[in-house]
Amino acid sequence: MTESLLSLDHVSREFSTRHGRITAVDDISLEIGRGDILCLVGESGSGKTTVARMAAGLLEPTRGAIRFEGRDLRQTSKDEHKAYRRAVQLVHQDPYASLNPVHTIGDTLRAPVLHHKLVKGRREATERAAELLTQVDLTPPQNFLSKYPHQLSGGQRHGHPLALNPRLIIADEAVSMVDVSIRVSILNTMLKLRNELGVAFLFITHDLAVVKYFGWEGYVGVMYVGKLVEYGRTPQIIGRPLHPYAKALAAAIPEADPDLTRAKEKLQLRSLDIPNLTALPSGCVFHPRCPYFVAGLCDEVVPQLVDVGDGREAACHVVSRERGKEAAA
Amino acid sequence: MVSKTGRRASAMTNGAGGNGHLPDDVVLSIEDLWVEYQTPAGQMQAVRGANLQIRTGESVALIGESGSGKSTLGLALLRLLVRTARVSKGRALFRTGDGRTLDLFSLGKDELRRFRWQECAMVFQAALNSLNPVLKVGDHFVETARAHGERDDRQTRMRALELLRMVQLDAERVVSSYPHELSGGMRQRVSIALSLLLEPQLIILDEPTTALDILTQRAIIDVIRSLRQRLSFTMMFISHDLSLAAELADRVATMYAGELVEVGNVRDVFYKPKHPYTVGLLNAVPPIAGEEFTPLTAIPGSPPNLLAMPSGCSFHPRCPYATELCARQVPPLFAIGDGHVAACFHRDRVTRSLDVWEVATT
Repeated sequence: MTESLLSLDHVSREFSTRHGRITAVDDISLEIGRGDILCLVGESGSGKTTVARMAAGLLEPTRGAIRFEGRDLRQTSKDEHKAYRRAVQLVHQDPYASLNPVHTIGDTLRAPVLHHKLVKGRREATERAAELLTQVDLTPPQNFLSKYPHQLSGGQRHGHPLALNPRLIIADEAVSMVDVSIRVSILNTMLKLRNELGVAFLFITHDLAVVKYFGWEGYVGVMYVGKLVEYGRTPQIIGRPLHPYAKALAAAIPEADPDLTRAKEKLQLRSLDIPNLTALPSGCVFHPRCPYFVAGLCDEVVPQLVDVGDGREAACHVVSRERGKEAAA
Repeated sequence: MVSKTGRRASAMTNGAGGNGHLPDDVVLSIEDLWVEYQTPAGQMQAVRGANLQIRTGESVALIGESGSGKSTLGLALLRLLVRTARVSKGRALFRTGDGRTLDLFSLGKDELRRFRWQECAMVFQAALNSLNPVLKVGDHFVETARAHGERDDRQTRMRALELLRMVQLDAERVVSSYPHELSGGMRQRVSIALSLLLEPQLIILDEPTTALDILTQRAIIDVIRSLRQRLSFTMMFISHDLSLAAELADRVATMYAGELVEVGNVRDVFYKPKHPYTVGLLNAVPPIAGEEFTPLTAIPGSPPNLLAMPSGCSFHPRCPYATELCARQVPPLFAIGDGHVAACFHRDRVTRSLDVWEVATT
């Protein structure tokens, strides 16, 4: 990993709900360097969106620290904070909701560069906007500047958070609601930004197949009910997931190949239900669903995220035990 | 061709001979179906001359991107189109459980009510939530059965429990729950169980796994597969997810800009696709299997404006195989063999190779 851009240091986030306090994110540490890709995978309720919002500065952690270029966000000066907000951009799940329907694409792209006084005047802002559209393959840009959001396709609407020359893009399920072909073109555009301009990505999704494609050269963190349960390089995690939850996710994904997908070995979970966040299970939070569950251990002791070799980490008693046996043999 | 005031009298034709003849093994025959929407900018043809036969007991996937007309086609069959849409041409013949043939677009009110649920039921996308929020799950079953003349509520509830168990739900608990007390995946399984209540021959599922978590999607896929093995109903499902078609379909039909451009057995369509649009879709899906990185390509351009369709083949402006012929003439569906058809002049040159696409995108 190169110099640290953004780091989360033992970060937790709690929320008060009608049914009591819940811990949406529980003691997570992550680091993203310049040009890195870090994918967070998990289902709804895993806390991955809460991580995204904290990383984007939209939500403060209840405990722990978030650092941008080594500086704790709570201690940054006004200027430093502004620099951080410029450098870190969030791409939402529904691109439609993040564009103002009564403004043209040109207006929307000009606004942030004018606001942050990155250009001298409207004309220069327009030139900058045209440049950006070209960068995301919306060419010729003149065709798009005067259009309104509803006149663009879902894929085309995704381009605009790039307006500020970001160094880190946080993409929260940014491609989960778009068609397959548009999805690939968005992913390819983002990979181009990373490879050519060194933009780093915190990429959040529920789909491991998308992670395999987008995050091949990066890292994956698998989240379950607020906790990081497995972490490592993408090819390793996809090729041989260790944590039973990561295994279940990989086994569940259907493939666009009839023979392969019908022959695929499935991992039968003991229960389909994600636990209630206000009444979490004792011990390992995954134990009520886990097919490898060991009574007296998994339901009593909380597993810690530990090094399991090859630079990967997992929070699972069974994995650690196997690992211990291998080491002894 | 039927409007609101159209012919209604002879909705039922005799199974044998004449216009209403259906081959013995066919449950649904869609013939030159056109559906148009009235828009402020003019009439838009959302389905353009679709032809498709569905055989008894098989599972057919209708795939394509949003706006391809696949949901419109499903809604048209059940006569659930919005007011601004209408079937402008074509017909759909359906063989009932007792061997009669129905002409779906000229059914009277009573016949239509009987057709829905008893002959054909539709399951919608989970996120759209087709369940009534003020009715308990059990009451959905009772109301549906009553509307179709079933007086014995106790019998219905027994059947409901049985079906809920079949979709892997905790039946006793779910039957007395309100929809909001259930997760999206549970509601979707309730909808599937409900669709089976009156033992229809054909189930149409519209994006049955969209907007659900991966483990929930897997549960739905497994439930549908086991239900088909047990109850052997005919199924047509609409999805933008090619993997779902790979999992559950016997045959696959690709739809582009309102037209069915390729139909064939699932293995033919996935392993030897002959329409460049099908190839483009397949080359855009990331696989999870395999130790290696798999490059993907996007289809260049975007789908046509249905109000201003290109000349010739509607896919030609995006197609790397397109020649001058494609811009001039609409390709018919060419037979390739074993029921495999594709609407492409260059079907013999089409392969899954990525090279031709990379050239097209750069």
